[in-house]
Amino acid sequence: MTDQAAPRPLFPAPTLRRQLRGSGKEIFGGFALVALVMTILGPISTVFLWAFALKWRYPSLLPTEWGLDYWQSTLTRADIARALPLSLGLSAVVTAISALICFPAAYAFARMEFRGKQFFLVSLLITNAFPRFGLYITIAVIFFRLNLVGTLPGVVLIQIINTLLLMIWIPTAAFQGVDRALEEAALDVGASRLRVFVQITLPMVLPALSAALLLTFVGTFYEAQGALIIGAPNIITLPVLMYALINNQLVVQYGAILSLILWMPSLLFLGFAQRLLRRGYLTAGFGV
Amino acid sequence: MISPSTTASAKPAPRKARPLSRSTLLKAAVPYLLIAAPMLIVMMLIFFPALQSMVRTLFDENGNLSLARYTDFFQDPISVSNLSFTFQITLITVAILFVVCFPLALYLRFSNSRLSNWVQTLALFPLFVPGIILAYALIRFFTTRGTLETMLNIAGLSGYRTPYLKPAGIIIGLVWESIPFTVLILSAGLRQVDDALIESARDVGANNVQIFTRILLPLIQRPALIVFTLNFIGIFGSYTIPYLLGPAAPQMMGVYMQRTFSEFRLPDAAQTQAVITFLMSALVGLLYVRTISKQRAER
Repeated sequence: MTDQAAPRPLFPAPTLRRQLRGSGKEIFGGFALVALVMTILGPISTVFLWAFALKWRYPSLLPTEWGLDYWQSTLTRADIARALPLSLGLSAVVTAISALICFPAAYAFARMEFRGKQFFLVSLLITNAFPRFGLYITIAVIFFRLNLVGTLPGVVLIQIINTLLLMIWIPTAAFQGVDRALEEAALDVGASRLRVFVQITLPMVLPALSAALLLTFVGTFYEAQGALIIGAPNIITLPVLMYALINNQLVVQYGAILSLILWMPSLLFLGFAQRLLRRGYLTAGFGV
Repeated sequence: MISPSTTASAKPAPRKARPLSRSTLLKAAVPYLLIAAPMLIVMMLIFFPALQSMVRTLFDENGNLSLARYTDFFQDPISVSNLSFTFQITLITVAILFVVCFPLALYLRFSNSRLSNWVQTLALFPLFVPGIILAYALIRFFTTRGTLETMLNIAGLSGYRTPYLKPAGIIIGLVWESIPFTVLILSAGLRQVDDALIESARDVGANNVQIFTRILLPLIQRPALIVFTLNFIGIFGSYTIPYLLGPAAPQMMGVYMQRTFSEFRLPDAAQTQAVITFLMSALVGLLYVRTISKQRAER
């Protein structure tokens, strides 16, 4: 599980590359790149431009006046000032609770034999087959009767649902990857079980556990649908606030600036992306 | 590829017959205690609400067993048009996703150039764009007098008609959002196809088309099926993109449910709509469950 300094290509196929050279596939690649730049980067760069624009009227390609004036008025909006700490705190709490209950479960799935293990693992995967939004509605109907709608515990519960699969799947694979011989060797020379776990097992699974934590934190930070259904009208997280800003867009810049603020955790995540991808964390838990 | 699998030690070691002591019982309970909390949440917050809502919607207000809620749904022209609209959008989007992503995944599998690294980075980029920001970005890009119309205008093209608040807007947004997942799963499947296998086929004279139809297609059936089912379920039940980019009528089921629940304050009707969404997804979900359980059984 050591990390190599030089970035490895994700899809290595050197011999085939030799054979297929000149078959025109790089022409396809060129087309694909141009199309992707237009369709993927076009809309995104529009948001960036709007965030730093003072005046931008059709048919000018770029803003005619630039400035940071709207940043100050956005950041001092009372609703945003309330939502930002709420969103960060909520994501931290959800991630922490999820880790507390999922990591031990992952250990059990990876290292213990027990009756019904396959059943439990498959029933975790089956949660993929439920349309999220329909589920939120049915949960909301139940929470409504339990007076959990509009409360913090209600939002925490609904957001935990989304984290379970990832927080169990990635750590389970990591615990399975630990070399048992190393642990046994340490036990043989007289180390206690606790010491073996802390000094041998934990360091080996730590990268996977931190990847799961990071993915969960970022994913929860952006979770808007569950929070919208269960949290409204009392608990307004940052992404939920975005719905309102998009629908009442008198000032375009507010939405653009909030988008950029919202985006910051994702950019952090982008920095780790290559590593997460290479280890298959992003496709984990779909049963591929 | 990450995929927890059980080791082949399913057969328990032969044990001496002895009465179960308290400590062995406790030991046997440990794994169940460790998995109890997350499994309880899965049961209580996923399986139970789904089942409970299915059962509840089979009774009318007086507690009598009846299909009244469903006949109400299917007799209401708005409900029916929303349901069929959801089907159409979902199928079109899933089809477009395949047409766009399959060539991309093939290209990424067989090219190792610097260009392909760029293509990959861009294709996966939407993974780092949360749905709500994407919706905002697409609105600013596509709206009347937005960036796209500006660019077309400069290129001398006029007569632009925005897809914003039209069905096409939903499809564009959903395709945009689902490209990374589709490309990732399809390339993960293509990567499992061994280079040696393809080379040996080539050695015995197979051409590209034969390699594609005889080797690649059969071997990526499973990832393709997983992509199809999960995309279908995700898109069928989507909310953010259709809510922000789509028309006011007809609506996709997610938007319809939310309005029924929050705006019209009709939780029972919303529940019926949710169950209908579940059942439609369940048909497709069954395919997914069969695929993954078959695969686990093979291991």
